[in-house]
Amino acid sequence: MSDQTAEPAPAAAATSSQPQVAPAASTNGDAKTTKPAEDAPKKLSPAELKKQKQAEKQARRAQQKGPGGPPKEQGTPKDAQKQSKEPKQGAKNEQARPMPLRRRPSQSNVPIQKEPEKKSKKESRQAGVGLFFGHLYSQPKQQSMNGAGKDVHPAVLSLGLQYSSYAICGSTARMVAMLLSFKAVIESYQTPPGTSLARHLTNHHLSPQIEYLRSCRPLSISMGNAIRWLKDVIIKIDPATPEAEAKRDLLEEIDIFIRERVTAADRLIRDLAATKIEPGDVVLTYASSSIVEQAILRAHEAGTPFSVIVVDSKPLFEGKQLARKLANAGVKVRYYLITGASHAIKDATKVFLGAHAMMSNGRLYSRVGTASVSMLASAQSLPVIVLCQSVKFTEKVALDSIVGNEVAPAEELLSEAERRDLLPLKSMLPSSRAASKNDDKAATAEEEKPDTSDVLKWIAESKNLHHLQVLYDVTPAKYIDMVITEYGGLPPSSVPVVHRLSTSI
Amino acid sequence: MSTNSEFDIVSSYRRILNEDPELTMPVAAIEALVEAIAQSSVSTVAETLDLLERHTAALKASIANPISLSAGTDLFQRYLITTLNRPASLNLGPDDDFRAIRNHLLSNGKLFVERAKQSREKIASFGKHFIRDGATVLTNGGSRVVGALLRRAAESSTIRFKVIYVVPSSRSSDANEGDQTVSDLRAHNVPVATISDSAVAYSLGKVDMVIVGAEGVVENGGIISRMGTYQMGLLAKSKGKPFYVVAESHKFVRLYPLSQFDLPIEQKVLDFKVTDDLKVSKTGDKESVDEGIADMTLKHTSTGLDSQDAVDFTPPDLISGIITESGVLTPSAVSEELIKIWF
Repeated sequence: MSDQTAEPAPAAAATSSQPQVAPAASTNGDAKTTKPAEDAPKKLSPAELKKQKQAEKQARRAQQKGPGGPPKEQGTPKDAQKQSKEPKQGAKNEQARPMPLRRRPSQSNVPIQKEPEKKSKKESRQAGVGLFFGHLYSQPKQQSMNGAGKDVHPAVLSLGLQYSSYAICGSTARMVAMLLSFKAVIESYQTPPGTSLARHLTNHHLSPQIEYLRSCRPLSISMGNAIRWLKDVIIKIDPATPEAEAKRDLLEEIDIFIRERVTAADRLIRDLAATKIEPGDVVLTYASSSIVEQAILRAHEAGTPFSVIVVDSKPLFEGKQLARKLANAGVKVRYYLITGASHAIKDATKVFLGAHAMMSNGRLYSRVGTASVSMLASAQSLPVIVLCQSVKFTEKVALDSIVGNEVAPAEELLSEAERRDLLPLKSMLPSSRAASKNDDKAATAEEEKPDTSDVLKWIAESKNLHHLQVLYDVTPAKYIDMVITEYGGLPPSSVPVVHRLSTSI
Repeated sequence: MSTNSEFDIVSSYRRILNEDPELTMPVAAIEALVEAIAQSSVSTVAETLDLLERHTAALKASIANPISLSAGTDLFQRYLITTLNRPASLNLGPDDDFRAIRNHLLSNGKLFVERAKQSREKIASFGKHFIRDGATVLTNGGSRVVGALLRRAAESSTIRFKVIYVVPSSRSSDANEGDQTVSDLRAHNVPVATISDSAVAYSLGKVDMVIVGAEGVVENGGIISRMGTYQMGLLAKSKGKPFYVVAESHKFVRLYPLSQFDLPIEQKVLDFKVTDDLKVSKTGDKESVDEGIADMTLKHTSTGLDSQDAVDFTPPDLISGIITESGVLTPSAVSEELIKIWF
């Protein structure tokens, strides 16, 4: 990946940026078990937050300029990108730096209030990321429920953990799960005296839940759409409505939303997509999409003789699940990794893809690797069909996969087994080579009790190797022949039309 | 047919089509359906829709290539549903009885047919501006609306242009129409060269633009048109010649073919054999069918389209623009138009 060319200087800058840091290297390996600050971020007013962050930032800058800090020039691109993630600050020394205005709205005002220790880990990882994806590392991923605000509902707490561990994965599933947990939130909600439900619920009760979910994993487009819809529904509630009635209506509305936009939509899409599978077809799909799975099973139930190729990739291996489910249902399945996609595509006759989102310029935002699969298919002039509920349409446009993307912890890239396989290479490390000259005994003693997390430490320590795991990529519209939604089959150019249609109702 | 004893939709459709040679299939279908409703004694919305459905099915089953026809029937059905569901939009009170609604429908149906007939002239007046003075136009005949456009351009005194006409290589059903257009154009002092399908690539160097008609415009902006249009599109694209489609907007079909073989009709174009059939030509062996045998093959049309009447699908990326009576659309705008109609 492109990050390999990253200069090491910002790494040094970032690790040394916190005044009271513990050495970054020692804490990096167990980033998953980090415990975030318990001070609830919500208690601080935005102004206070800003002040605090400003102070921190200045301290960091001072540190960076101090001895050992990198030349300013090298630090700039990195900082500039980081800058775009955080609220603009008034520090004078920043005026000289280029400040891109680009900012991802979904993450821009996330309160980052972590213990210094935590931050340092984050920084060290972030520093390891190259020029292009630095802006995506805005905040560390929440991996536990420590530090969640006291307002966060238990249902949301557990959901957040399921998000961050990928137990609930896939944008539709995440959206539905979120709405269901919001139902629990609304059910147990009581309007404080002196406020009305329509005014209070969204800002003061739902927002902390959403913030918490966002800290577990960035919100998906569909979740964003659903939240916008829900807020809209809540705000339109007549303040005169009795609370019990308003809550009941809300719960009902959520159920209707799920039924209309997901359940019924799924059925329509599935039925239409199944008719596109003809006898003798070889349907190729990438990773795993629930709607693609449903369509394939539907066609199989209808008795169409066809087979499926599942192309999959590291590190989530979502396709394994899909392949297993399809095979259990009696569909003929072949399973490839994306490394073999160019071979797989030769046998295929159609490509079915799931979507994370459809952009308004007709581009598909989906699991990383989708773009290469659809380009391969397009080169073979195979029809590429995207199955996507209209709830995943967004008015945003994407020109590349760099500006907007999601970065998952890079540790996930290396499986436990792979880390173990790498352990014997320890002697090749520059540091241990130097050490072994002086002290052979110590080195072997260390090898005696190999710890797989060591491998991650080596990578974190290394100057020229960075791990990067992005989750999504963007497929240009010209590689997509058809988008099947609950409104029927469309060319990708009609995405904005349908989006307008589905949001105006 | 068997489903409706009172009214024979198929024969009235055929009669309407024969009576007025200017009529296109979708319009004739709508006219036939209006007639069917007029003669029926339906008195409820559900009954009307049910009747419509039965007639449409009968009509579609009766002809080999219902793509163009289904554009009309679908449009009419959609129109019916929206108007029947919203009687208020017809300035009728909720108390008005169904008969009033029906009468409104019938008169509007007639209006639609009138408008559809006028649309060809409208397209011709739009489209003639695309032909620049001194241009050479390549077209592949058979389409009445292309004929109307070229005639209109020929009548205007300011445009001098030449036409290269790809004549149908076999006796297809619209061959006469093509001959008529050629002689009309020549009568207007427009030089016309007629070539065969195989000479398209050869002639392309002399061509400035390609204009073709369409049987149906599908959702992704591609067109379904007589066999040979796709290859003209491919060749035009490879030589960078603009490729325009002329079609009335009632030819927009809710259909989304992904490839040539994804059409909802059966075509007997590719017919693989291992033996030399003695009666090779009986099944319509590619293009080289002579007249006498072509007549014999006509009876096969009920099971599948023979190569003379076969159609192909031209994907949207080959098309520069679609000239309709409501303006000139890019292929991607077609789906937008269809969505407007359907939702």
